[in-house]
Amino acid sequence: MGLQEKLMILADSAKYDASCSSSGSTRKSVGGIGNVATYGICHSFAADGRCISLLKILLTNCCIFDCKYCLNRRSNNIKRAVFTPEEICSITLNFYRRNYIEGLFLSSGIIKSPDYTMELMIETIFLLRHKYHFNGYIHAKAIPGASESLLKKLGSLTDRLSANVELPTENGLKLLAPNKNSKNVTQIMQYVKNNQSKKYVPAGQSTQMIIGATKETDLDIMQKSSNMYDAFQLKRVFYSAYIPINKDNLLPSLKQPPLVRENRLYQADWLLRYYNFKVADLLSPDQPNFNILIDPKADYALRHLDEFPKEINKCSYYDLLKIPGVGVKSAERIVKSRKHFTIHYEDLKRMGVVLKRAKYFILCNGKYVVPMEFFNKNFIESNVVLEEKNIIAMKSEQLRLF
Amino acid sequence: MQNVYIYDDNFISLLNLIYYLLKHHIRPDNIKDESYQANLFENKIYLFIPKDEKILDYLRQYAGGSVVRRMFYVFLSNENNKELILYYFFLNAMKYRYKVMGYRNLKCVSEVFRISEYVSHESHKMKGFLRFKELHNHVLYAEMEPTNDVLFLVSCHFAKRLGNELWIIKDNKRKILSIYDKKQFIFVSESEVKFLEKEESNEEKRFVSLWKTFYNTIGITQRKNERCRMNFMPKKYWKYITEMKEEL
Repeated sequence: MGLQEKLMILADSAKYDASCSSSGSTRKSVGGIGNVATYGICHSFAADGRCISLLKILLTNCCIFDCKYCLNRRSNNIKRAVFTPEEICSITLNFYRRNYIEGLFLSSGIIKSPDYTMELMIETIFLLRHKYHFNGYIHAKAIPGASESLLKKLGSLTDRLSANVELPTENGLKLLAPNKNSKNVTQIMQYVKNNQSKKYVPAGQSTQMIIGATKETDLDIMQKSSNMYDAFQLKRVFYSAYIPINKDNLLPSLKQPPLVRENRLYQADWLLRYYNFKVADLLSPDQPNFNILIDPKADYALRHLDEFPKEINKCSYYDLLKIPGVGVKSAERIVKSRKHFTIHYEDLKRMGVVLKRAKYFILCNGKYVVPMEFFNKNFIESNVVLEEKNIIAMKSEQLRLF
Repeated sequence: MQNVYIYDDNFISLLNLIYYLLKHHIRPDNIKDESYQANLFENKIYLFIPKDEKILDYLRQYAGGSVVRRMFYVFLSNENNKELILYYFFLNAMKYRYKVMGYRNLKCVSEVFRISEYVSHESHKMKGFLRFKELHNHVLYAEMEPTNDVLFLVSCHFAKRLGNELWIIKDNKRKILSIYDKKQFIFVSESEVKFLEKEESNEEKRFVSLWKTFYNTIGITQRKNERCRMNFMPKKYWKYITEMKEEL
């Protein structure tokens, strides 16, 4: 089998992993090739609009597991391929020199045993780092069930290590991935968390969940994310809309992957990490799923209209963050600027505030800028929803935020 | 008549000129570089102020390094009246010193924010979108055509990243080449280059084709989203992006 065909097979089977970030780490080029920029760099964008920053491939798509949703499951009759470590090194280095990529994202199907697979991955990355002195970004998938000594080795060679929880609940996992055990994944996360340092997985760990393959609600999913952020100091949780690849009685039949739902989850994820929101602010057992028509923050504001309007010149940083149309950057700008001058309505636009949303929720020097009768739930809701509907229609059900 | 003050086309000279104008309470109608074509109502004024790098230290001490960096980014931009914006910004920097960036309600401050961020974004984009090809003498060669003059910023990035390679980056819009010899990069104007080797190495085709295979495979068909791709990777850059050229 030629290298072309191998690359095609092993990129095709790796593409369902959502993560492609290359930020959060620094590495200098000492005598070798490459470095890592803290802020991460996107090198290209695929036809689905997702960023390409890393050479995302599997070492092999042979697998002893039989996870229902996975293209590479044992029971699928597909072409299988294995890269040799030297082949991966050659492609990575040559792509990197031409500035196609920021580094390597190496994952693998499981051949023989988790330990055996991890050893192959370590061999490859060791070659890249120590024979070819490659200082670019490397993200590796840890194989659940592999021993801790291998986890230690792999993590000291990579910038990021991750293990996918795949499904938000134990039951889901039992149903669709009978060979997998959530304990193994938790063990990896715990180990990485305990050992993380500048020399061990400097860019931290992340994980991924498949959305819509099982019956979990958004509340289950967000609760799981929130717990993981707290327990393992994850950098990111990625959400991946379920795409029907295999036919199986246990899998739902979907025409379209649930992309808008995926987008809402990402928005809520951002609210947890950067906007000081708690899961309970966004969802409750009575309302366990996000409104597809409104983003979670606007939804929160509409349900808590008594907290609004908020005075731009007085309210705290965290209160500013609660206003729809105000983001982290614009809130910081407002706080900084308030020290020097009184902010007028005209200044807000220059600070990056999205006024067509924010205007309903703010006071500027005690003044409500739109007619006061607009300040009621139905009016604002219909306007915000209309606007979102347009966006959703425009993007033809295909929203994305990475 | 309108007075247009002329500076040598470099950052230091522009700062020297602005500082001189401010010190002598001169309000220029405009400030432009030498290549500027004046119209009938404009008067080009040359002050021949000696180039003095101390102005940078002065500004750094006075307003801080990040302010100087932002001003440099504005200078690199393609904005029509960037010099005048910098003049008014300098004026306010003398007044408010370290706090000047806090005054977003001033037009010149918010413009410096906007333009410097635009330049820094484009430079960041070019760091990702630039594509080298390997020539048969092992030199890496890339061309680009950015809106703003980001060649210097991009060169700094690749001098660190590809420090053990020989590379050339050419800005086709400004006809300038940045040539790196494993130690430092120098700028050479296209007219000064007598001969430029462009024959590709034997391996080049193979890796281009591998890369295209990877690119075409990695997108998920069920998620196809042209609009989203275009937002992140605007068409104006496609001409120089290996995997996009053919889609144009």
